[in-house]
Amino acid sequence: MSTVWVRVSVVVTVALAALVVAPPVAGFERAGDRKILVFAGRQEVPTLDPSVKYDWSIRMMQQALYDALVKYVGNPPEIVPWLAERWESSPDARTWTFRLVRTARFHTGEPVTAEAVRWSFARTLRLNAGPAWMLSDVLNEDGIRVLDDHTIQFTLTRPYAPFLSFVPWWYVMNPKQVLVQEQGGDLGQKWLTDHEAGSGPFRIKRWEQGVLYEIEAVDGYWKGWPSKDHVGGVILKIVREAAAQRAALLRAEADIVEGLSADDFDQVAKMPGVAVPNYPGMTTFGIKMNTQKGPTKDPNLRKALAYAFDYEALIKIYNGNAVLQTSPFPNATRGHVTVPGFPRQDVARAKEFLAKSASRQGGIELEYVYVQGLEEERKLGLVLIDNLARLGLKVRMVPLTWPNMVARGAKVDTSPDMMAVFTTPVSTDPDAVAYQYHKNSWGKYYGSSFYANDDVWALIERARTIARWEERTPLYAEIQKKIAADAPEIFGMLANRRWGMRDYVKGFVFSPVRFTGEVDLYPLAIATK
Amino acid sequence: MLFGLLCVTFAISHVVPGDPARLAAGPDANDAMVRTIRVKYGLDQPLPVQFGRYVMGILSGDLGESLRSRNAVRDDLVRFFPNTFELVALSLGLAVVLGIPLGMLSAVHKDTWVDHLARVVSVSGVALPAFWLGLMLQLLIALHLGVLPLGGRLPLTATPPEPVTHLMLVDALLRGQWGTLAQALRHALLPVVTLCFPALASIMRVNRAEMIETLQADYIRSARAQGFSGFRIVTRYALRNAMIPTLTMIGLRYGWMLGGSVLVETVFDWPGIGLYAVNAAVSSDFQPIMGVTLLLGTNFMLANLLVDLAYGWLDPRIRRPSTA
Repeated sequence: MSTVWVRVSVVVTVALAALVVAPPVAGFERAGDRKILVFAGRQEVPTLDPSVKYDWSIRMMQQALYDALVKYVGNPPEIVPWLAERWESSPDARTWTFRLVRTARFHTGEPVTAEAVRWSFARTLRLNAGPAWMLSDVLNEDGIRVLDDHTIQFTLTRPYAPFLSFVPWWYVMNPKQVLVQEQGGDLGQKWLTDHEAGSGPFRIKRWEQGVLYEIEAVDGYWKGWPSKDHVGGVILKIVREAAAQRAALLRAEADIVEGLSADDFDQVAKMPGVAVPNYPGMTTFGIKMNTQKGPTKDPNLRKALAYAFDYEALIKIYNGNAVLQTSPFPNATRGHVTVPGFPRQDVARAKEFLAKSASRQGGIELEYVYVQGLEEERKLGLVLIDNLARLGLKVRMVPLTWPNMVARGAKVDTSPDMMAVFTTPVSTDPDAVAYQYHKNSWGKYYGSSFYANDDVWALIERARTIARWEERTPLYAEIQKKIAADAPEIFGMLANRRWGMRDYVKGFVFSPVRFTGEVDLYPLAIATK
Repeated sequence: MLFGLLCVTFAISHVVPGDPARLAAGPDANDAMVRTIRVKYGLDQPLPVQFGRYVMGILSGDLGESLRSRNAVRDDLVRFFPNTFELVALSLGLAVVLGIPLGMLSAVHKDTWVDHLARVVSVSGVALPAFWLGLMLQLLIALHLGVLPLGGRLPLTATPPEPVTHLMLVDALLRGQWGTLAQALRHALLPVVTLCFPALASIMRVNRAEMIETLQADYIRSARAQGFSGFRIVTRYALRNAMIPTLTMIGLRYGWMLGGSVLVETVFDWPGIGLYAVNAAVSSDFQPIMGVTLLLGTNFMLANLLVDLAYGWLDPRIRRPSTA
């Protein structure tokens, strides 16, 4: 071999070696003297606009960038003062007055005023998107009045007790900052997709759509920081593959991961340096049954299915990290009661109900629709096949993509006999769950039972207009019992919420009212040794 | 052809069940909110009107807006396509650079250990799913050995170069950011190897088969008789003829890799067009789906055009006008 070739080979080898030498694995990222927390999540943040959309990843970032009048904190969730230092409601729950703190500042340095609050609420109502549905039936723009710079009053079109429970999700934007970015009367929608105009504890540093989203802590945040070790910034990195998420956590390239399977969480929990917080959540899993069409129209058949189902299998699928529902309402919902005689597997009883139904001869086939690719729902379908075979009933499993499943459940004629649905209520007020059984929820994915009961509907409508909690409580107890008695679904379980975290991440505060995967980033800290 | 592709994609996007307006409005949205979105995006119009508007938009360079993100599809494609293009170009380049010589070697040393080894590589490349291979490489090389990153295009806190071409490696070169270039190459290594492997196998197999056939041709035997060196015969006379089917395979592979990069992109968090398309498809977000289809279709056609032109360069008989 010539000398030239030897030299070339050496240079190439050194270059390749330099290329593959890995930097030492750091415990967490740093940017200057700031400690950066890396959150490996599977879901993108397609928009940040607080008036346009929310889901767990969007809301996690909105909560970090914006403030609301009040905030949900802790377990059980409590509504605590935030931009509003105090508030009062009229005895009929129609007028709500909030007094703002005087120290709150937007990231531009301008004060957060009552006018900014009015504009933000009016904007959401006008765009009629995102969280608008929560209040648009009871609040219009004329009902929002600025009493002075730091006092705002909402006069609802009718008494509405759950009003306060939705306010934490209505974030306050800086109108001056947004309106200069308005394009063609869009109220700043285009700009707010990947910019912010908030007063929250973080501001945007980098926004690479679909790749990563970086926010940095606001020095001198008006509310202060709960810990001197608070994170200096957060990178939400989109990692779509569970194996890659797990590997990133184990290599400390990610400090928090969400969305792993039950088995993966159990596995990473055993690894040194990793903690797995494990809390009962508010997300219910149920098998909705079409109560108006097909064989499941018959309440006796529905009850037979409810008693035939092996509820313990639900817990096993989640490796014990779930609790069974004891009412149509999640346990963390205010006014939850344990409904006596709530269905558990009892094959003899199931056969009794089947004998009373029109399908007493058996031999029918029921359709079970679930989300394609969701392993837990597929396993539950197999459990159903086994359980219902004892009643002589067949189950046809139909995996569908989420959009197709929503489309099927939107109409009574197409809604399947059985549909596997996870539902997370947006507030802790019982109305948020009860209203899923109201006729106005027909067409939504959680209304795919097309449940109809005039008594229940009347109770729901009445309960939401009563201001005093003591008077509402018995009504919700009644609602829970009546819904359970009608068996519009096989009420399943509440899966625990889990995250994988490096053990140097401190300050995590769980609140079940947050969506699956969602973490309040504000109290998080990184403990340095 | 592109118009036909557009018609078919539009029809498929609109006949599948699912209400894009309801999905865009969110799970809790009431009917009024869904109606607002339907009107805003013209989804309340008859399909021919929607199609007409879409085609007019394309003619003026407007590919519509994503219902999911409200971003302009054109901006999204500019952001994501260069990443996929870089991944595919590097993978295909590597596959060609390795696949053709290996195919040649295998053919020249037919039925020897060299041939057997090359065939094991080629069979493995065809048999191993890219998704599985990617995960294995990631677990072994990135997680256990820790010598390469798990995924992404750059370290988390690194700042990408200011875009010139939107191709990160090229931009890093043009900006003279050598550190960024090295980091980007380190991050590209595992996804490139993963995506390259099946293409390498196909190219090698085709090249080997063609070379074996060509090496038995009369003109090769004549060349040997005239005393040309074996190296010259293989590289200058045999390879040129064997390259035409190989080139066809390269052209086809380019199209397959563009469309099929999604699995590798998923494993390595590579922000490419495949992931973008899949996310759009599962959300019934049809404007991005059509934008991606149009872009990939155009690319596929261009690639085939280049392959056709290359035929003429390789074989003078093809570029000479027929005298018949």
